Amino acid sequence: MSVLTAFMSGVTRLNDFIGRWIALLVFAMFVFLLLEVGFRYFLNSPTVWTNELTQLLFGVYAVMSGGYILAHKGHVNVDLLHSKLSPRVRAFVDILTSAIFFIFTLALLYFAVDMAQESFGSRETSFSAWNPPIWPAKGAIAVATLLLVLQGVVKLLQDIAIAFNLSYYQPEPEASEGEML
Amino acid sequence: QDTFTWKVQSHWPGSSSSYQDSLVRLQRVIEERTEGRLKLQLFEAGAMFKAQDTFNAVSRGILEMGTISPSYAQDKITLAGIASGLPFAFRNVWEAAYFHQGLGFEQMLRDEAAKHNVYWATDKVYPTEMVIKNPINSWEDFTKLKIRSSGALQKFLTEAGAAASYIPGGELYTALDSGIVDGAHWGAAQGAYSMGLYEVAKHHVQPALNIAGTDVIIVSQKALDKLPEDMQTIVKQALEEQFWVRTNEYLYKERITLAKAIAEQGVTVNTMPDDVQERLVKAAQGMWDEEGKRSPEAKKALDMLKEYLASLGYL
Amino acid sequence: MSIEILTLLFFGSLLFFLLLGLPLAFVLGGVSVIFLYFTWGFDSFYMVASQIWGTMGSFTLVAIPLFVFMAMILERTGVARDLYKMMHLWFGGLRGGLAIGTLAICAVFAAMVGISGAAVVAMGTIALPSMLERGYDKRMALGVINTGGGWGILIPPSILMILYALITGVSVGKMFAAGILPGVLLMVLTTLYIVIRCALQPELAPALPKEERASWGEKLRAVRAVLLPIGVVVMVLGSIMGGITTPTEAAAMGVLGALISAAVYGELKWPVMQEAAIRTFKLTGMIMWILFAAHAFSAAYQSMGAQALIEGLMAMIPGGPWGIIISMMLITFLLGMVLDPVGIMMITLPVFIPIVQSLGFDPIWFGILFVINMEIGYMTPPFGFNLFYLKGVVPPSISMNDIYKSIIPFVLVEIVGLALIMIFPEIATYLPDLFF
Ligand code: NA
Ligand code: NA
Repeated sequence: MSVLTAFMSGVTRLNDFIGRWIALLVFAMFVFLLLEVGFRYFLNSPTVWTNELTQLLFGVYAVMSGGYILAHKGHVNVDLLHSKLSPRVRAFVDILTSAIFFIFTLALLYFAVDMAQESFGSRETSFSAWNPPIWPAKGAIAVATLLLVLQGVVKLLQDIAIAFNLSYYQPEPEASEGEML
Repeated sequence: QDTFTWKVQSHWPGSSSSYQDSLVRLQRVIEERTEGRLKLQLFEAGAMFKAQDTFNAVSRGILEMGTISPSYAQDKITLAGIASGLPFAFRNVWEAAYFHQGLGFEQMLRDEAAKHNVYWATDKVYPTEMVIKNPINSWEDFTKLKIRSSGALQKFLTEAGAAASYIPGGELYTALDSGIVDGAHWGAAQGAYSMGLYEVAKHHVQPALNIAGTDVIIVSQKALDKLPEDMQTIVKQALEEQFWVRTNEYLYKERITLAKAIAEQGVTVNTMPDDVQERLVKAAQGMWDEEGKRSPEAKKALDMLKEYLASLGYL
Repeated sequence: MSIEILTLLFFGSLLFFLLLGLPLAFVLGGVSVIFLYFTWGFDSFYMVASQIWGTMGSFTLVAIPLFVFMAMILERTGVARDLYKMMHLWFGGLRGGLAIGTLAICAVFAAMVGISGAAVVAMGTIALPSMLERGYDKRMALGVINTGGGWGILIPPSILMILYALITGVSVGKMFAAGILPGVLLMVLTTLYIVIRCALQPELAPALPKEERASWGEKLRAVRAVLLPIGVVVMVLGSIMGGITTPTEAAAMGVLGALISAAVYGELKWPVMQEAAIRTFKLTGMIMWILFAAHAFSAAYQSMGAQALIEGLMAMIPGGPWGIIISMMLITFLLGMVLDPVGIMMITLPVFIPIVQSLGFDPIWFGILFVINMEIGYMTPPFGFNLFYLKGVVPPSISMNDIYKSIIPFVLVEIVGLALIMIFPEIATYLPDLFF
């Protein structure tokens, strides 16, 4: 069981580590947008790259959040039923609904990888005036989905442990469940 | 007898005149001539696939048909840059039409698209023209402009000396209104009219920035092959006819739309002074060679274009 | 299978898995994939990836992290807290004073952003704790934020109005002008509701006890607290109206203003900024994954032939021009409960607009009705986006049930507003007729 425990904490730590760094991209987006305003309004020479770079960073920022947010229970749900169930029954329900989660994320993973490969294969660029490579941003969808799937596996393992009283995972006390963001 | 229904993803919003005039027309013609055996199910821009992904979806055979701008397929089609228009190359729409259909540029595009299992058929050739808030009466007026642009034209306008920036369509109206930019191009008169740009920018600039086959109908080869032979012929013939019908009709609608804008919204046509035009042509020619470097086919097409323009007495 | 049955199954499964407690983003995505498989085949899953890529490339969404970041900084550094303290000192004697103040801030926020989402999350962060601390009923506080946060699409600038103009071919400028008075009307109606409700049930929004009310000296000193927020607002609105920035870029001006405010408070410190950045990341990501999946969901529904369903419904409706308009409002309202606004527009407008015009109605007026209806859709269960965005910022003690229940009176108020604009079209058409 220690392999499972190690896997679970490893994936969670990985998502945490990546999330903490990606979160800082908001500063970059802020700076680039401000730069563009400065260049265009004060110097009358808009750049070809600031808005597009901001856009690409935003895309990566948004998509890469998936696994991190799952690790921190930040994907919102309807808790009408959830809140009335005991932790074990709730874990059972979550095990069942995880099928929907995996149908979505695995279908996405398959085609995100496909899309990324195709993009990387042709070293796809945006063909804007700036014309930067965009395969890294498309690749981010695949990486992000993989991280999300892995964190989903961790969640499933947690639920199985709770539902069947297995020892490889000890749930944290209830109070921290809804962890205030 | 088998009947077929094709999903068709447009890059035009439903309110665009081309959605009705090009797509709905094609739907009607094909349905009539196949006696209802081939139906087109039309989807507005972005309904299922974003414009930039429609070529991929058709190439994979997920969609049977779509409409795009060549620039959305640039990573696959090396001729796309020339197809979407070299600035200040043609001076009249018929010249571009003859280049496509008479000199064989259309066939070159079709051959390159065929490598991706796509049948390429240009919907029409037409001009792209700017609208601006203050008229251009001198070279200085031009270089002072802040213009909303995109893609190759953004690069061209920047290199020519204006300040071109990209602003998404959704923010274009407000940007022009508040003066973030002084001008923009969105198609020509019909495009500007549909986006409400004449409300906030009263000068329509001529001549055109480019004249090109900027709208294309693409068909999945896989879907085409599934049709019986007679229906394949019907589809291809309808597409060929479409080019001439739409090119001519579009020109007509450009003119009446501009006339309406002039009469109802006080728009004036601003013809750029000769010296400004000359300098823009110079700047443009410097850029053409870039496109020729993309592939042997692109080189061949560019040489063909230059020879053609020389024969017209423009070079 | 007919589109009618598909529709029932599609939305039925959405509801079912939502009630089982799977997060909204995954329910939308999973249900889309399952239905795509049966109606279109395996290859069509490519559309899901394609929709995500498309959503990542939507420039107007860049405003979300920036406005949320702005709110986080204002909240973490105490600027927002002082603003509410000031409002409480001034209007604390009035029952529901803070709720009305929150509505006013929402209206200002709405003039700064063209989208919903950002305002709800920002106001949920800034206003909710302040109201709860002062003994406000949680449903009153939640409802105010939910309703006011949605005004971003009604009060110009508005991305939805631009989209409406694009799909229908009406003037963007007229749409913007037409949104102003209805925005004011909704604000007045909602304020009236708060005043009356709090007069009848004082415990919902307690007034400041007489002995705690401040002297004029204290009140005046507290006014300093509004200077910084007003500065931020001036920076954002000024740069939009002055032609310095687009509405999206203006969000960066908002962050700049917030950073300056933080510096004034002596809170421009790395740990504070880092924490604000991480909370922004979580909230933006939550919003974006819902949008990713919602766009895939709309695309899947459209591929199944949603428009044919609307066409069929419209053909069945009896009963004169007004019967048709009211039916359209009803269809939009019902779709608003389960679909995202952009999807609703794409599905319904191409069918509605020719009918509206042939009946001789003003498409601008109809556009305003439509946008208000979209705004109501943002806040109606089961999945109004605003409900979920709000759920993302509230403390664990507040359940989805609280949020669902909180919106009922506010939705009714908006419906009253909607009815008034239907009866008196001038509310929408007066300004555009005056300006253009
Ligand atoms: Na707004
Ligand atoms: Na809703």
